[in-house]
Amino acid sequence: MKKLLSLMLAVMMIASVLVGCGGKTTTTEPEASTAPETSTAPEASTAPEASTAPETSEEPAEPMILRWGANSEPTGFDPHTVSEEASLRIIPQMYETLLGQDKDLNYYGELAESWEISPDSLSYTIKLREGVKFHSGNEVTAEAVKYSFERVLGRTEAGDIGAFGSKATYFGNIDTIEVLDKYTVKFTLSTVTSVFLSNLCSNYGAIVDPEVVKANGDLMRADGGTGPFALSEWKADNYVSLVKFEEYWDADRVKLDGITFYLVGDEAARLAALRTGEIDISTLSASNVQAAAKEENLTVASYQTSDYIALGLNASTPALQDKNVRQAICYAIDRQNIIDIVFSGEAIPTHIIPPSTGHWSVPLSNYDLYTTNVEKAKQMMEAAGYNENNRLTLKVAAGLLDTIRQTAVVIDQQLDAIYIDLEIVNLESGEYVDVWYKMGTTEAGFDAMVVQDGSGLDPNRGIGMFFTTDGSASVFGFSNARVDELCTLALGTADEAVREEYYNECQDIIIDDAGKIGIASPMAYFVISKNLQGFVPTLADSGNYRDAWIEK
Amino acid sequence: MRNYIIRRIIQLLPVLFGISVLIFAVMKMIPGDVISGILGIEATEELRHQLEVKYGLDRPYIIQYLDWIGGVLVGDFGESIRSGAPILPEIGQRMRVTAELAVLSAVISWIIAIPLGILAAVKRNTWVDRFVRVFALLGVSVPGFATCICVILALSLMFNYYSPLGFVFFVDDPMMNLEMIILPALINGFGISGSVMRMTRSSMLEVLRQDFIKTVRAKGANEKVAIFKHAFRNAMIPVVTLIGMQIGSLLGGGVIMEQIFSLPGLGQLAVTAINQRDYPVVQGCTLVIAFIFVIVNLITDLLYAFIDPRISYN
Amino acid sequence: MRRFGQTIKDLWRDPMARVCIVGIFLIIVTAVMAPVIAPYEPDHMIAAPKSAPAPDYIFGTDNYGRDVFSRVIYGARVSLWVGLIAVGIGAGAGYVVGMIAGYFEGWADTIIMRIMDILFAFPSILLAILISTVLGRGLGATMVAIGIVNIPVFARTVRASVIAAKGLEYVKNAQSVGVKTFNVLVRHISPNVIAPFTVQSTLALSGAILTEAAMSFLGLGIQPPDPSWGSMLSEARAYMEQAPWMVIFPTIFIVITILLFNVLGDSLRDVLDPKLKL
Repeated sequence: MKKLLSLMLAVMMIASVLVGCGGKTTTTEPEASTAPETSTAPEASTAPEASTAPETSEEPAEPMILRWGANSEPTGFDPHTVSEEASLRIIPQMYETLLGQDKDLNYYGELAESWEISPDSLSYTIKLREGVKFHSGNEVTAEAVKYSFERVLGRTEAGDIGAFGSKATYFGNIDTIEVLDKYTVKFTLSTVTSVFLSNLCSNYGAIVDPEVVKANGDLMRADGGTGPFALSEWKADNYVSLVKFEEYWDADRVKLDGITFYLVGDEAARLAALRTGEIDISTLSASNVQAAAKEENLTVASYQTSDYIALGLNASTPALQDKNVRQAICYAIDRQNIIDIVFSGEAIPTHIIPPSTGHWSVPLSNYDLYTTNVEKAKQMMEAAGYNENNRLTLKVAAGLLDTIRQTAVVIDQQLDAIYIDLEIVNLESGEYVDVWYKMGTTEAGFDAMVVQDGSGLDPNRGIGMFFTTDGSASVFGFSNARVDELCTLALGTADEAVREEYYNECQDIIIDDAGKIGIASPMAYFVISKNLQGFVPTLADSGNYRDAWIEK
Repeated sequence: MRNYIIRRIIQLLPVLFGISVLIFAVMKMIPGDVISGILGIEATEELRHQLEVKYGLDRPYIIQYLDWIGGVLVGDFGESIRSGAPILPEIGQRMRVTAELAVLSAVISWIIAIPLGILAAVKRNTWVDRFVRVFALLGVSVPGFATCICVILALSLMFNYYSPLGFVFFVDDPMMNLEMIILPALINGFGISGSVMRMTRSSMLEVLRQDFIKTVRAKGANEKVAIFKHAFRNAMIPVVTLIGMQIGSLLGGGVIMEQIFSLPGLGQLAVTAINQRDYPVVQGCTLVIAFIFVIVNLITDLLYAFIDPRISYN
Repeated sequence: MRRFGQTIKDLWRDPMARVCIVGIFLIIVTAVMAPVIAPYEPDHMIAAPKSAPAPDYIFGTDNYGRDVFSRVIYGARVSLWVGLIAVGIGAGAGYVVGMIAGYFEGWADTIIMRIMDILFAFPSILLAILISTVLGRGLGATMVAIGIVNIPVFARTVRASVIAAKGLEYVKNAQSVGVKTFNVLVRHISPNVIAPFTVQSTLALSGAILTEAAMSFLGLGIQPPDPSWGSMLSEARAYMEQAPWMVIFPTIFIVITILLFNVLGDSLRDVLDPKLKL
């Protein structure tokens, strides 16, 4: 009897441990703010009683700090080299570029007051806003602009100071940079480059303070920016705090006194911290966004990204060199099913140029390959010699993001019917990137890889970078002379209609090849406290807090 | 005794040397490297080579190792390849967090486990004994991360509570610091209390059986006196060893706890660095963790000798 | 063999051990019979994602719409298998190494034990992460990684017992009458090592299952879509609020299994360690 009792006790205790996570109880009112921390008023004893009373009402308001719950730790803040998500969230607060793009993708001057393009589309003369200060107090001059671009290109006189020239491809066509006067700078390009203005808007076009770079060697832990917020303190794996830059050229517009990015690595912890008001804004996965949206103190701001999840096939795997097999895989994938399971319905099916890029994206309905047709896929596989007794096993690399791993799992299920088994390997980030580089070769050790790629706003990136033979991100071994030719042609013309024609043809070729199979383009979410106002993230401008404020 | 200490310290040297070689070798074997991470998707062979030269990664392994270990010996752990931050001060900062969590967890586990272990031993094979054993082992049996997430969720849902963000050190703001660290310490402490309880119980049983306790009892001493005055002290000897080992492993094992509770500890530093392949940081962290581990072990052994004069060292 | 029978008999007399033996037996049966017991294939999506428990799927479905009950049952297989093999590797290697170190002492002992100290001083979760990054992912690599982490503990336990056993009269006698070293080790010393070794094994088994869970939490360990209790938990943690059954059932199984092994190890120690007889 005793043993039974002890067993039951054990079970009861386990149950009591788990009760905590069982039921959802939303009885607490939203504003049960954790007891005010003993903010001792040190002046009370020294100042005479009478005079303090009226003053307390006019006491300066508590600084308005936006508290961000970041899911990962930034590696540093050098706008010319860093590309991690956590850093890219912070850099736009500290740095500015010459131009910006609004939600309709129209250009506006940020550090530039005006700009002029020569009739041959080869030279761009940019007039700077006068009197703009870096956080160091130095003034922004044409020399600093020249220096910044030379740094990205790895061409500074002092040699390559920390920027490696690794983002040089963004501005590779710059031939000369001339300083015309203190506030005017002229870029001359070697060939017509239709995407020059849009590249100026990227982080890599940030204008940096040459003095700060020289003093620090690089900008990983220094602040050489002009942005509305300046770096105040970075405690690694703890927080990064930014404070309002009082001499910001558009200071009246900025209402926040600062932004602090706390590292809250665990998703469940972020949701809990949002719920209790410990943080004002954070990111969550699609499934938890729904839970967060039900909270009365939270709301969700979202926008459709131009990222897309895709299945990339390694061109060096013999079985996948058969185009029928690749196309069969494309037919067999049920995109809506993946979207429902992995993204809780919050994504749109896509090929390799996501619909959010607007007119650049050929409608999905144009492509029969992207209409799920398992029967046809099965027949194609049987024609290629596969059947229940001769199945194809593919080793698939996944990792980095939950969505990537989960997509791989669902695809595994969907391909089961067409005699394909996937062997999924979940790689950790360092290894994932490494495998990705080698993906077009047998060296990769994988037959396929689930990736999430950012196609950018212009197909020069989405096609030129990912699918031309020399493209810096063309990793799956795709190579097509016609696509290479079309991309070169498209880059050399400023006529949007002609470019669109070229890129449409590229999409036809690439999609028919089915070496990289587009799946879904997810939404990006910010779960924000209802107190945070004036923050409207868009595809082109997803982290702009210039107009944001926190309502008490 | 002094010779013993010296001999033990000399024995540590090959161990530390071995650890430094092992960690260095492992970092070279891991697929993926720091440069791929820095360059992102724009990498070219030429750029890769430039960076390899910049960070000295193009040199023969043996030279790289000697360069690193030479620096370590004079207290220079180098700089992070990713952020350029000097490593040793960073490790020092992180160690304060990790050590605080480890010590607090250990203390909590003793508070839970030692009385329970004595109780179980005294009431051996009774209902109380069984209950205590299962209760203490429950802590060992629940995966730590599941408990952590449950606790965080439960507190946020039921009490609208979340521990404050932005870690502060004890010396800067003791109350705030304790509020941040108490939850993980409780969970951790409960987690490790099982083995302390188990050790207390069995060594207590052993001591209670010994002749001198029987003599004390036979002399008609109060049962409580027999247990607490005479048995307890002797029973604590093996427990001290265990506690020493635990602090050592707590220092290196808090990775998951630190991640969930956003504590900027040594484990976080090491895991982030492994992901980024930031070689000098991983090497430095591992070496420091291992060093502390062997030192704590040494101190435990010495303490052991101090408590139990019957042990001879020669 | 008589000793073994006696041990089992003694163990059976302890009510808690009896509960544990029966419980572990049931879990092993569940694991072996998984294809018979589980109503669905563990990686088949059978219903809407995150469906609450219902008669058709008594533990509910997970975020892919897979049957949690079937996955827990199959997960028992993977988790126990990982535990057994990993402990097998750790215990096997530790046994051999500990025997050599303890019996021959001298240089062999110094070298072996220093290597063990190196492995031991290495933070275990870091060591497991590093090994599995080098070896790759999946079942095999995970088992080897956890196995290697376990070697030093076994080596130490075995070595200590061997040294103690060498002092026993009948071992000394055997040595002096010229019994071959191998035979001395197997016939005379091993029986003295078995007790602490077995106890350590049961404890290491539960440790291995937990380590696998922790590694899965960090994205290493068992690869999808294979279920292990640890990987189920790590996948489920993001859905704790919307689909608590995804968390609760694997947790219950992990906790019960580990509790059974731990309590059994405890009882076994009581039985095998004659010093503890009051």
